[in-house]
Amino acid sequence: MSQHTWRSLRSIFGFFFYAGRKARKTKVFFVIGILPVLMALIIKLNQTFFGGRTIEGMGVFSNIIMAFYLQFLILILALFYGSSVCLEEIEGKTLTYLTTRPVSKSAIVLGKYAAYVVFIMAMVLAGVIFSFLILNFEDLLDFSIWKVLAIDLGVLALGLISYTAFFTFLGTFFKRSILFGMVFAFGWENAVQYFPGATQRFTIVHYLKSLIPGGAVTTGGKFSFLLFRLEPSPPLTAVVTLLIVTAVFLGLACLLFSQKEYLFEE
Amino acid sequence: MTAVIETRSLSKWYGNILGLSDVTLEIEAGITGLLGPNGAGKSTFMKLLTGQMKPSIGRVMIQGQEIRNNYDLYMRIGFCPEQDAFYDEMTGWEFLTSLLKLYPISHEQAAAQAAKALNIVELWNDKDRLIRAYSRGMRQRLKFAQAIAHNPDIIILDEPLNGLDPLGKRKVIRLIKDYKSEGKTIIVSSHVLPEIEALTRTIILIHQGKILAQGDIHYIRDLIDTHPHIISVKCSDPRALAGRLVGEPYVVNIQFGPAAGTVLFETKNRDKFFGLLPRLIVENKLDVEEITSPDDNLQAVFDYLVGK
Repeated sequence: MSQHTWRSLRSIFGFFFYAGRKARKTKVFFVIGILPVLMALIIKLNQTFFGGRTIEGMGVFSNIIMAFYLQFLILILALFYGSSVCLEEIEGKTLTYLTTRPVSKSAIVLGKYAAYVVFIMAMVLAGVIFSFLILNFEDLLDFSIWKVLAIDLGVLALGLISYTAFFTFLGTFFKRSILFGMVFAFGWENAVQYFPGATQRFTIVHYLKSLIPGGAVTTGGKFSFLLFRLEPSPPLTAVVTLLIVTAVFLGLACLLFSQKEYLFEE
Repeated sequence: MTAVIETRSLSKWYGNILGLSDVTLEIEAGITGLLGPNGAGKSTFMKLLTGQMKPSIGRVMIQGQEIRNNYDLYMRIGFCPEQDAFYDEMTGWEFLTSLLKLYPISHEQAAAQAAKALNIVELWNDKDRLIRAYSRGMRQRLKFAQAIAHNPDIIILDEPLNGLDPLGKRKVIRLIKDYKSEGKTIIVSSHVLPEIEALTRTIILIHQGKILAQGDIHYIRDLIDTHPHIISVKCSDPRALAGRLVGEPYVVNIQFGPAAGTVLFETKNRDKFFGLLPRLIVENKLDVEEITSPDDNLQAVFDYLVGK
């Protein structure tokens, strides 16, 4: 990577990491992001002070990861931030400010993508860690649960990286990328992952679920049915596939964004 | 004087729609006004000059180099877009410093240059306000500030006076003129002739993607003067007035207008016509309600040049 490209990437990253923090949608997603933490806190307080039903911390934690983070939050975050990498510059007519500076269009896509991924990753992972600490407060010396946390964090991080790359590409390609993204996220991904045989391998979520500790049998949570019919791919294959998906869609996004001439609508 | 900007057979199509057609011209240092009605191709021309678009045919050379993807040249060009668009959740200060950090300069330099630009456009006291709370005039000046903050040699301004009140216009005109005195090359687009007149005597006339004329503003004025002028007079007795003027050699046509009491004169010599008119009004004791020149504007020049 040339010094110019590296400098461009860094400066675009800095620009949008800063701008992203101040964006209105960030405030909305921050509130959604802390919901599981609040839920964990309520469960724990109920159990501690009001003698609520004793629950297994890791069981609730697995449910939160499966039902909320993996199937909902990372998809929504990746969709709204990924598709906005290019689209908000075009719809907001601010693209001119970037394309008249000494930075390449690929650097704009990659730098903004990286800024948003780091940003939403921090939002998601902080929520997961806090939920984990609250729910497993008494078992924190059990090192086996820390391993589960580390893998869950890794899976969610990979999910954010790959989904955001896909939605970034979608944003360069379609004007209505949110609509198409919704169909993909909550239609295709939700349905095809339960198809038997090789078909489920055409979803990103298949590879993410293949990495979840213990697979379908030992997750222990009520939402383990979400792993129904999972025919997991080997972990290495899953990681490599997710990285390839990321690289391919980011490459396509850069190519398309560099070639296409966007016209602002009056 | 050598040309700073050169275009050769420059053309741009948007699918089947022609944006710019076969533009070959040279632009020297100083202020050049790009004049044309809305949709004439001014913005397309400016986007091609700044490397935001790829020409369908032809080339753009700035200081002897191709502009497209030439990041060294991008550092020497400042562009103020037409659209009123910003990162609204930023303050004026954040907007400028963030954009300056996209250049290969240190953070300290970016802060110093942003401060200088904000002082120039008189926004220093408002630098910590959110851009969305700025007035239209302030936003226009902020756009100007981002175009000059990195101290470019070439400044390209797309309709910089659009939507400004008279005071705001005067401020921006003064700023542009200050930059001219520093030896910079400035291109300003507008669809309003008096705005361009206030800035420069060097004009490029553009219409339907084609360059109709290029040169001194007097040339454009001459085009108006060699074309018959239409003068509309609304008075108490238009027939009497017409009768007194019909024999004058410089009055080439007289028509009674659709509105009651209105007469339209076509004259080849506006000065002589206006020299005689007040005397006739006084002599005939006419009550004059209105005297207008419906074709004394840019559109009339364009219509004349394109042979309408």
